Formats: sequence, structure tokens, C-alpha cells
Amino acid sequence: WLPSLLLKKYHGGHVVIRMALGGATNRPFYRIVAAYNKRSRDGKCIEQLGSYDPLPNIYNEKLVGFNYDRIKYWMGCGAHPTKPVAKLLGLAGFFPLHPMTVTEAERRRKAALTESKAENLSIVTLCL
Amino acid sequence: MAALRVARGLFRSCRGVQSVDYDARALFLGARRPVCTSSSDDISGCEGADGVRKAQFADAEVQEILTRITGLDLERVFKPIKRELKPPKYKLMTDAQLEEAVLRAREQAGKLLKMPLVVPERQPIDDVLAEDTILEGMDTAKHVFTDITFSTPHRERFIVVREPSGMLRKATWEERDRLIQVYFPKEGRKLTAPPIFNEENLKVMFRQDRHEEVLNHCLVQFEPDSADFKKVHTLAFEHLEQEAKYEVLRSTRFFGPLVWYLVTRRRVDGLLTDMLQRDRLQDALSLVRLFNLVHPQSDCALQAVQQQATGLDLLKIFADCESQKSGFIKLALQTYEHSGTDIVLTAPQSKPGISAQHLQTTHGELGIPDYRSF
Repeated sequence: WLPSLLLKKYHGGHVVIRMALGGATNRPFYRIVAAYNKRSRDGKCIEQLGSYDPLPNIYNEKLVGFNYDRIKYWMGCGAHPTKPVAKLLGLAGFFPLHPMTVTEAERRRKAALTESKAENLSIVTLCL
Repeated sequence: MAALRVARGLFRSCRGVQSVDYDARALFLGARRPVCTSSSDDISGCEGADGVRKAQFADAEVQEILTRITGLDLERVFKPIKRELKPPKYKLMTDAQLEEAVLRAREQAGKLLKMPLVVPERQPIDDVLAEDTILEGMDTAKHVFTDITFSTPHRERFIVVREPSGMLRKATWEERDRLIQVYFPKEGRKLTAPPIFNEENLKVMFRQDRHEEVLNHCLVQFEPDSADFKKVHTLAFEHLEQEAKYEVLRSTRFFGPLVWYLVTRRRVDGLLTDMLQRDRLQDALSLVRLFNLVHPQSDCALQAVQQQATGLDLLKIFADCESQKSGFIKLALQTYEHSGTDIVLTAPQSKPGISAQHLQTTHGELGIPDYRSF
């Protein structure tokens, strides 16, 4: 009971699947990692489950690696994925699409539309 | 206390390691020298148009014939490769130990001469998993998702691409090869093909007779069923066939694939004449037998089966039916017949210069005619 609860190392914490930042200045690189909730972001993790490179390469690809087998294990153990990880997994097809991905896409399209409209207006005013 | 922490750390790291389940294919793809396994896809289908079973590259009989034709020249197989300079080691051995060492060298040479696979070219992948047009405009770059599970074979790995248009598709073969090299790098393989595999550079290498180097490099760089691999091999074999320089690949692991390439395209004449010139009668017979196995419906094969021919008769039938240089083959056969019981039916390992000399001393003026005159 209480003594055994207090002797447990992590109580009240839980495992999360999140991104740990690495890389260099102006060059981020994320490791997708299973870690305890209260640990520091880049500190000791339980296991590395993959990586994410946010900068596109010469083939215009953003490389993401997932160890699906272990992700399934940790999700089965009750790990919580964070929002960016859930978004990436949704894009990969492993999870259903995250609603924020859809919302972001719509917002970007609207912004692009208003931008093009503003451009057209400015061109028209310049011509006149 | 520290020991406990170390032990806990070790335990934690061990938990991540899974039992690696290598099946034959994973071993083949991971190993440097791919070994012949039975290929599931056939070149022209298991049965020809007439329902007769055609011989495939991976059949035991075909493999045996090809290994026999390749020969085992120890000097050639263990040719010194460019390595860092070390002082030579000398060993003092008795005759028995020397024989044992030679025997072990032969076994090692046999392993080194294992032929690379000849498999049909791979079909391009164009599988679309999902079309989510609501995601359009999400990003300007593609996302490529690779499955990094250590124990899955590379052929079965999931590699999907999410395009900026929102389409989720499987990655193409080139993308797959590149990404597998990124996450599971293989020694000697580059991400992009080195410029030696451009046509002009290949031609330069062929002119210098360095086919073996190029083909070894190609084996390491490309997968056996990729288009580039097939292209390099085709160019190399075509060049050898045109120049009739079969000796370049004679005791290497690429001789089998070369012979298979020629036999499937029915252009065996050059090789046959070369073998007869070098007194390799047994090899010539194996070649004709292989031809009959691969093309069981050809005139040559049917006649051979009818007459139950063996030895020189096989060659005669082949010369009649299939070859364009029948004149030279018949002449060579006549020389062998005239020499009577002096035929040594085991293929001599000596160099062609020595065998010509040997022929002149034992058979007088019956030297080997120049086949180019026919």
C-alpha cells in the first residue's frame, strides 16, 4: 500500500511517444522516442522508435522512419502519442488522419487563395 | 549500486533487441555474395507454349553444367586484389600439408565461384493506398515513411509516400532501394549509382578488359532484378560476344550467367568455336547438352533425343541444325576423329599456347585452323 507506492520509482507518470529534438543550429532533426512523461525532452528515453527529418532532401522528400512493431507494443502498454507524432502517423496511414491535419490543409488553402486574390488586386491597381 | 544501474541499463537495452528471424531471402539480400536459390518467378513461365517444361537458371542440372563449364582455375580465382601493402607470409609445409592446403583452396574457390542470381526483371510498383484530396496544399514536399523494424526482410518492408496532393502510394523500386540503403546501409553500396555505370564509362572499362571488376561492382550496387543490373550485364555480355573474349570471364562467377545469356538467345556458336579452339571438348558437350535442355523443342534437341546421341555425335547434330559456323565445327570434329585414341576427354587446365604446342608435337600438322576464315 502506501510505502510500496512511494517506493515505486515513477508514480503518476506515464509513457509518451514524442519527438526529441537533435541536430545543429538551423538544422533540426527529431527522434521519435518512447519516454516517461516527466523526463526532459532530449533526455534519457526508454526506446527510440524512429526518426523524422523536417528538412526536405534533394528529391524533395521528408524522410520519416517508424518501427511499427515497437510502436504497436508501446501503444499496447498504454503510451500516449503527442500531437505531431499522431499527425505523422496519420499521414503514414498507420493511424486515421488527424483532424488538425485536415484543418491545417484547409487553412493553408484559404490563405493561399486570399494571397492570390490580393496579388491580383495589386496587379490590377498597378495597371490602372 | 553502480553495478545495479549498469545491470538495469543492460537489461533495458536487451529488451529492445528482438530475435532476428532471417529467412533465406533476407540472408541473400544482406550477404555480400548472393547465393543461388530457386527463384519463384520464371523467365518464360514454367511451361513453354507447347506445355513442355523449359529448364530454368536455378535448376540443379543447369547449375551443375554451368559450374562445370566455368572451370576452376585457382590462379585466376585467387588473383591478387588491390589491398593495403603487407609483407608476404611464408609457411614451411610438408607435401601432405601442401596438398591439404590446395584442397582447402579449391573448396574456397568453389564458394567464391557461386553464381549470382539471374532473375526476371522486376515489375514497377504503382499501388495507390489512399486518395485524400482534402489534404491538398498541406505541404510542398513529399513525406516518405519507412518501416524500420529490424527483423522484416527488405523485400517485405512497408515504404509509403504521401504526396503533396494528398495521395498515399507505395514507393517505387528506386525509392525503395535508396531508402533501404539510408536506414540499413550495405557496405560498398552508394545512394546514387556511381558514374562508372554510365554507357561511355562502361565502354572504356570494357575496352580495357575489366569486365569482372565492373560486374562485381554492379553486383554490390544494384539488386539482381533491377533494370540497371540487367542493363550492365547485357552490355558486358554483348561486348564479350562481339569481341569473342570469353577467356576474360572464364574462371569467374560470371561465366555461368554469360553462358545462360547466350544459350537463351541461341547465339552459342562463338562460344562453342572458342571452346573447341582451346581443346575443351567436354565443355563443348556440356554446352550442347545445356542448349538441348533450354530449348527442348528445337530441331537439334529433338534429333538428339531420337538418336540418343552422346559425345561427338551431339556436336555433329548441333553443327547441322543450329550453328552458322558449321564448317569450322565439322572440321574441328574431323581433327578429333583423326587423332583417334589420343583424345583426352578431361578438359585441360593448361593455357591455350601450351595446348597448341602440344597438339603440334603429337598430331603433326593438324594444327587448329583459324575459324575466322569461315
